[in-house]
Amino acid sequence: MNKNLLRILLVEDNEGDARLLREMFRSEAPGSFELTHLLRMSDATVHLAKGSTDIVLLDMGLPDAHGLDTVRMAYAAAPTIPLIVISGLDDEALAAQAMKEGAQDYLIKGQIENRALPRALRHAIERHRMQAEADLVRTNKLQFKDEFLSHVSHELRSPLTAIYQFVTILLDRLAGELNPEQIEYLSIILRNTKQLQSMINDLLEVTRMQASKLKIDLQCISPSAAILDAVNTLRGAAEAKRITLTSSIADPLPPICADPTRLLQILIILLDNAIKFTPPDGIVNLHAGIFAEDPALLLLTVSDSGCGIAPDMTERIFDRLFQTAHPDVGGRNGLGLGLYICKDLVNRQGGRIWASASHGQGAVLSVVLPVFSLPNLIAPALKRERHTQGPVSVIVTETTSLTGYLSDTDRVEKGQGVRDILLGCLHSDMDILLPKMRSSAPTELFFILAITDNIGSAAIAKRIRERLQGSTVLQLAGLTAVVYHRSLPHIKRDVSESMKDFSDRVAAQLQDLMNDEISARKVIHVQ
Amino acid sequence: MSNKKILIVDDDPDVRQGMYVRLKANHYVPIFAADGLTAMSEARKQEPDLIILDLGLPAGDGFVVMERFKSIPAVAVIPVIIVSARAGHGNRQRALNAGAKAFLEKPVDNDQLLAAIRNALGEPAPPSPAALPAAK
Repeated sequence: MNKNLLRILLVEDNEGDARLLREMFRSEAPGSFELTHLLRMSDATVHLAKGSTDIVLLDMGLPDAHGLDTVRMAYAAAPTIPLIVISGLDDEALAAQAMKEGAQDYLIKGQIENRALPRALRHAIERHRMQAEADLVRTNKLQFKDEFLSHVSHELRSPLTAIYQFVTILLDRLAGELNPEQIEYLSIILRNTKQLQSMINDLLEVTRMQASKLKIDLQCISPSAAILDAVNTLRGAAEAKRITLTSSIADPLPPICADPTRLLQILIILLDNAIKFTPPDGIVNLHAGIFAEDPALLLLTVSDSGCGIAPDMTERIFDRLFQTAHPDVGGRNGLGLGLYICKDLVNRQGGRIWASASHGQGAVLSVVLPVFSLPNLIAPALKRERHTQGPVSVIVTETTSLTGYLSDTDRVEKGQGVRDILLGCLHSDMDILLPKMRSSAPTELFFILAITDNIGSAAIAKRIRERLQGSTVLQLAGLTAVVYHRSLPHIKRDVSESMKDFSDRVAAQLQDLMNDEISARKVIHVQ
Repeated sequence: MSNKKILIVDDDPDVRQGMYVRLKANHYVPIFAADGLTAMSEARKQEPDLIILDLGLPAGDGFVVMERFKSIPAVAVIPVIIVSARAGHGNRQRALNAGAKAFLEKPVDNDQLLAAIRNALGEPAPPSPAALPAAK
């Protein structure tokens, strides 16, 4: 194949405009351009998936996509291919937005000179290549920094382990009796060792955050367990300062869509912080209840009787490496990463954190996290896919029980992102599902939710993809959300068991579990 | 009390010694290995009741050592607890999938370590946690 051959994909539904554009390549050397002309976005995304395109020329008004959405969709289909928008609108703001969404250039129809278009294409490709190179250098640099920090943090842990071991050996009198002065000094060493340990942990956490290695495993959980755990963890620290640590939990608390480990981490950071900034004999309270302004959110507040937060500091306390200098609080307080980590963890779970200014009357830190619902469950994946098309359809497979659970309007409200819930149980139901899927909007995004991540649901996902990939009616966006219950891996089908018996048995067990509303675990992975 | 034999595999001599004192004080019989190969031969020779394994070892990391343990029937049945400074989500999952009884992050809290050991050995929890004055 000719190395200089430029393979152009023109997506334009107006035949007249397409002809004009085609004309502009006429005077170029033969064999230097290969133009593929398509009329619809859906065809273009299929073509782009083949990977035989060097550059895209995109009209912003297509039968199945319009405006900036065309740019978003083309960019999502092939983020590594340079994209030039051709538009009839001479609109600076729109051009700027198109560039922001991933376009390399914005050309106005009727203002493109004959020889200018091929040149613009070559330049766009060159610009795109240089940008990709710069991105790579930047990524490599960041990766080095992350690896360095991660390495150093890990290496610091070994000597720290030995210090901890021997200080506790001495304090536990395993090497003989101690006098009160020795006990006091060893306790100081131990306290500082723990401080160092928590700083190293923070450093590792931030490294993981920046390297996007931090795993958030959203589940349907009851927040009460984490609240009690956090309060118990910090009880010792509070008692040491004679601080009264209380919790008030509204009854009933709805299940929320969060990562239980991360929720606990958030609460521990907030309580630890409150205890640190509260003088002896003070009060720290953790409250949980439905957020009055929005019942789809759970509100968690940590309030204390400490020195409070100055009005100009309510934003800054979440900055990386922020440290306060308050006369009431002596000594070191860590790296200034706690609230920064906290904010990141809250945001990643679709929540929000803020501090209320109340100088001199104690601080109030509030966190809201989404209450468990189907739209909330798939929201992070929608965001990652840059999905802006409005509601999506959800296909629920595998068991009758969960489909019932999810489609029960009392529990899950449709809307807010979910257009339709298509129900299907096993392989055979695909024949019922596929026509339903075909009748949906052409650029519909589908989620497949399955109870287990076993071969069955993978096979269903594969079948749907196979059946819809070549279709001009529907695109499967290549996303599979697998929802499965934490206790379900233990449910396995016996070889002698019929599929129906198995399904009934799973359904019965699920119903029990769902009644408890303990946990539905979720894994979203991009296929 | 216990007298159960525990093989400690860690390349850091200080950490090994610290673990030795702690385990001995709790009536276990600690034995050592500083690398994967010694760990293999010690495990085969001494048939300990439990192995405490570090992941970052010279000549073959902890995962490789775990795989080798599995290849010898007499050693394959011995429960393994991983104690590591490399405590990312990936390592934890990998270790548990490979059959480790517990995954503990260095520096391990003493109570946590002893609880994991008792759990892996199927021993009951001590009647009162204050058998030894715990340093918090």
